[in-house]
Amino acid sequence: MRTEQVLFWIAVAFYGLSAFGYIFGFIARGEKLLMGGLIAAAAGFLAHVASIAVRWGVGRATPFITIAESLSLGVGVSVLLYLMVQASTRKVRPLGVLVMPVAFVLIGWAGTLRTGPSAELAPALQSGWLWVHIVGASVGFSSVLIAAAAGLLFLLKEKGQGAVYDMLPAPAALDDLSYRFVAGGFTMYGVMIVSGAFWANTVKGTFWNWDPVEVWSLVSWLIYGIYLHLRITFGWRGRRLASYSLLAVAVMIVSYWGIPFGVNTFHTGFRIEH
Amino acid sequence: MTAPEMPPEATPASQTSPSVLQRAYTFLVSPKLAIALLVAVLVCCTVGVTVFRGARAWELIFSTLWFNGLLVLLAVSSAAAFFTRIWRRKLTLVSVGMILFHLSFAALLGGVVYNGLFRFKGVLRLTEGETLPNGSLESYDVVEHGRLFDMARLRGKTTLVRLHRDFKVDGANKRAAYEIAVEDGAARATGIIYVTEYLDICGVRYFRSKEGYSALVIMYGKDGRELYGGHVPLQSLKQASGGYLYATGTAHGAAPLQFPAPPEHSLGELLLTYRPNTVVDRAGEVGFEFWPVGADGAPASVRKGQAPVGGLFDAGDVAFSPREIRYWVGMDVRYDPGLNVVLASLCLGLGGMVLTFVGRLRQGAARKRAA
Repeated sequence: MRTEQVLFWIAVAFYGLSAFGYIFGFIARGEKLLMGGLIAAAAGFLAHVASIAVRWGVGRATPFITIAESLSLGVGVSVLLYLMVQASTRKVRPLGVLVMPVAFVLIGWAGTLRTGPSAELAPALQSGWLWVHIVGASVGFSSVLIAAAAGLLFLLKEKGQGAVYDMLPAPAALDDLSYRFVAGGFTMYGVMIVSGAFWANTVKGTFWNWDPVEVWSLVSWLIYGIYLHLRITFGWRGRRLASYSLLAVAVMIVSYWGIPFGVNTFHTGFRIEH
Repeated sequence: MTAPEMPPEATPASQTSPSVLQRAYTFLVSPKLAIALLVAVLVCCTVGVTVFRGARAWELIFSTLWFNGLLVLLAVSSAAAFFTRIWRRKLTLVSVGMILFHLSFAALLGGVVYNGLFRFKGVLRLTEGETLPNGSLESYDVVEHGRLFDMARLRGKTTLVRLHRDFKVDGANKRAAYEIAVEDGAARATGIIYVTEYLDICGVRYFRSKEGYSALVIMYGKDGRELYGGHVPLQSLKQASGGYLYATGTAHGAAPLQFPAPPEHSLGELLLTYRPNTVVDRAGEVGFEFWPVGADGAPASVRKGQAPVGGLFDAGDVAFSPREIRYWVGMDVRYDPGLNVVLASLCLGLGGMVLTFVGRLRQGAARKRAA
């Protein structure tokens, strides 16, 4: 087994441990399990970054192109953002109860789809727009995943009381946190869509093709656009928006990795040949 | 589409019985309409990538008048709803960001409509060394243009000088690159286009799109005299093994063609296949299947054989020579006068989103400090 593969599966194992720690920490109301979850997440992240770096070095092509690589990057950035939030405040440690299980499932899925590193980047991808596009997409996804996690904590806080629940900030603060991450994710998705439009204009001469991946990204963006309208214009707060953010992140995962990669699109064209 | 920190649905108390026009105006600027339209567009998009897909979705949804009307109504309604609510309010970083964002919708709409009226898109298919006039519809395989587009905009003629395989730019392999020349009277512009590089001449842009092989086939009589010669473009057909078969026919499969090609008098049907040499470019073996026209006009028995590029295949009464292999290319020729407005409005919208986000962060920090 190659070094890169070993590191990848170590990361998967740590993310699994972390997910276990968070879920059972919540069920058993044990703070130590949550702490264990956080440590496992950090350890998994280090192994994950190392696996990406080794893959990049071996393959020489940017390792964010295939569906498995895209999933891996999305998970990596989500865990990074999550760890950054943890570093800035201890109050929202249980955010991992959604972030880490999702990260574990997605990276496990990526593990089943992995292929060897690419020796060469397809010509259509040899563009500076690639970086803007993938940063927008991965940070956007990470932001809305954390927003959904804050939404979940809001719903749990409403129902539960006791050790873990008492650690959490007030519901209004969780609601505000969720909103901020949605606003950030919405902006980063805007970066992804606009950079994709500029890139498509360079390659195809048109900024928008109604390609399934484009439409799915528009669907995701509109879903969060509606979220912002419901909150700002119609004054929605609390439970309704928290539930909405959970539903929206599920749509996001489907739109990002689920359906578009399964059909023949402009994006899959990038993967085959040019 | 939204105004910052506003109480929802504030209406003047003095209004008693609004006229139809007032009601229509109130309806148009209502945030409820804007959000209903957003949801409607969202539903259409979701249907367009789940129930229907690809060409079917384009035909039934994305290209239709009603869907595009919905988009126009959304842009108008959201801008109207936003600007009537924010009018004369104090400008903040958040509100400036939102103004830019909503302005970008109107600009985007204007750019798209203008572009739709004056745009042109055609697929220009050229074999190396061939020249075609830009202003003639016959030069293009596929043509789409706006109602107000004037063909006189496409001046001069285009020549495909050469196709470069494995073209490298700063060490990166761009695979296929087309060296083209566009002449308009005494003016001549040349350039090399590849997947991430296009040529722009007076607003008309040339994009690399697709390419293939073209065999120059010469037909000889029994006496060795040249009877006919022509370039035969070959289709690339993906095989189950993952490799490609290059042959005459259509994108759906190999098929023979009349040779000589109409309007010349056909002497039979010819099916060509080409197996490129993996080491030497433009070399390889050409396979022939020829069905000569018999004395009664019906096809006679098939003559099969092969010859290397530059060699000769004896088909009985006639002989064939694949004299040389060239490349043909399909270039997308585009004229999009509204494109810059569209791209600028996308940047404006993005700038608006970033400003709004930064403004919100600053508001939050200020609230924290105050607390």
